Amino acid sequence: MSQTANTDLGRELAPATAQERKAFQDHAFQVLSSRFQGTLDAADRWGLTVVLPSERLREAVVFLRDSDDFRLDLLLDITAVDYLGYPGHDEARFAVVYNLRSQRAAGRRLRLKVRVEEETPKVPSIHDLYRIANWQERETWDQYGIVFEGHPDLRRLLNHIEFQGHPLRKDYPARKRQWLSSNDPLVAPMVARLKSNGFTVLENPTPNAPSVEETGLLGKVSREQRNNVENPS
Amino acid sequence: MKVLTPQGEKIDLLTVNIGPSHPATHGALRAFVALDGETIASAVSEIGYLHRGFEKMVEQGTWQQVLPYTDRLNYCSAILNNVGFCHTIERMFEIDVPDRTRELRVLLSELSRIIDHSVCVAAAASDLGALTNYFYLFNPREKVYAIWEKLSGARLTNTFTRIGGLYRDTYDGFESDVAAVLVDVETGLADAFRLLEHNRIFIERTRGCCPISPEDAIAWGWTGPCLRATGVERDLRKDEPYMGYETYDFQTVVGTTGDTFDRLMVRMYEIQESISICRQVLSRLRPGPINTTDPRLILPGHGKTYHDMEALINHFKVVFEGVRVPAGEFYGSIEAANGELGFFVVSDGSGKPWKIKVRPPCFTQFAAFANLVEGSMVADAIACLSSINIIAGELDR
Repeated sequence: MSQTANTDLGRELAPATAQERKAFQDHAFQVLSSRFQGTLDAADRWGLTVVLPSERLREAVVFLRDSDDFRLDLLLDITAVDYLGYPGHDEARFAVVYNLRSQRAAGRRLRLKVRVEEETPKVPSIHDLYRIANWQERETWDQYGIVFEGHPDLRRLLNHIEFQGHPLRKDYPARKRQWLSSNDPLVAPMVARLKSNGFTVLENPTPNAPSVEETGLLGKVSREQRNNVENPS
Repeated sequence: MKVLTPQGEKIDLLTVNIGPSHPATHGALRAFVALDGETIASAVSEIGYLHRGFEKMVEQGTWQQVLPYTDRLNYCSAILNNVGFCHTIERMFEIDVPDRTRELRVLLSELSRIIDHSVCVAAAASDLGALTNYFYLFNPREKVYAIWEKLSGARLTNTFTRIGGLYRDTYDGFESDVAAVLVDVETGLADAFRLLEHNRIFIERTRGCCPISPEDAIAWGWTGPCLRATGVERDLRKDEPYMGYETYDFQTVVGTTGDTFDRLMVRMYEIQESISICRQVLSRLRPGPINTTDPRLILPGHGKTYHDMEALINHFKVVFEGVRVPAGEFYGSIEAANGELGFFVVSDGSGKPWKIKVRPPCFTQFAAFANLVEGSMVADAIACLSSINIIAGELDR
């Protein structure tokens, strides 16, 4: 307990009143708009969402995380929205949404939004600012194909390694099926992990999962059967 | 495989897959570990074995059709997911549900929390070889499932709440069933406490096993019992009270060291608090309406639909086109059994969701798993995995 007794984390929070929430949101917007060129997102009619230019994102996140007025130390989620075909939408096709909350004071929640063009779907990675961002950015890349620049290991997270496309994009057909067969040996991530833990890898690990050839799966499935999976009648 | 340790010693590491199909993964999760003897030198994990495309599929139907999908997120406490989703959408509509519904939702949520924590503790204990607890905790859980069955017709995937109310009111004798099950839970829990709390084998297996500091836990995005085990007193039911939680008398349970022992004990003591909340609900539950009267959300009664043209059209539009959730973007969350369960919702004002992103609490716990277990023994990794209660349904969606 000694570790937390000195901080405010080991104490119960008093719930924030509606006025306090409003005051926090007003202050947050004032700071984000004057210092980081943030603009209000009208789509969020219930709370506060601030749209930031992508080059100011990292600075703003560091500021919100560390400054005493905010201390937004909990990154709840990163996701994206595909506005292709959204009624009345005339901005960039995608937006990446960062959902932040404070564990130091009640009622401090806000979302940051970075608009992303379809042709250059890139935002700076914040994997080094919040540890959980690593997996959240991988999931967003997997589902929407948005590249997080500077991410050390931008692999698919929920979908299979052989999966083609980004399923949560609005132009990905919901009923499309793909043939996925081989296992992910995870050798490269393991080598990277060993190196970051201070080991020097002299020989690569052998994959412990059987390959497609070993399971004999490929030989047993005809092209016709595979075609039936991908194009069900 | 041959490696040089950070100290420059040349050793041979053995790579082993733990999972995806392993009795201790309780679902399909995979950890690929490099072992130095029995110690885990490095670990990487892989998820997605239970990925069903929740977020894609919910965009295909109406808002009401999302509900059965939410059951399958954390299937150990399906009603908590139903409550979380409906509560979020109701906040977008800015409507209140009747008192009876709010109280029933609290009661069902806390019963769900009890069975979810029971599953976690019982499974963790049986993974450690203490199988008896399993029976002490699972017998009352079975009785809760009997209540679910009488209420909703389903044991596991209840789909009991509706946007703006509930599927239906409770049956005759519901209160006495709940009161009886609470006594059973209390007895089973007391037995499990006697078996575990001062059990030297259990303590030595779990004390100091895979601890995490409060700062790290927050950096990993942890919420719920696993975060509270590190001594951080945060609970959405207290910090941002919803559904009238501020009117109930209960304590937030916190641990001290954030190790496996604390994570399990926090859950066991939280069961006691939930029992107390359930009893408080029972003492104030009064008969009354269960659905809001807002015609945007609720179907007109059969009597009206059959004899009134407007009611028939209303019925048709609500069913076929879906309720029209106000356009905009909203994030709503509740304290689920594993932590903050959030729904980020984008609506274009039509009867179908534009996007619903679930913020599953155990995603953040499993993301930290490789870091937690490095440096400890394989057997400790198994104990740790059970204590962070990974539910593949909400992890992989």
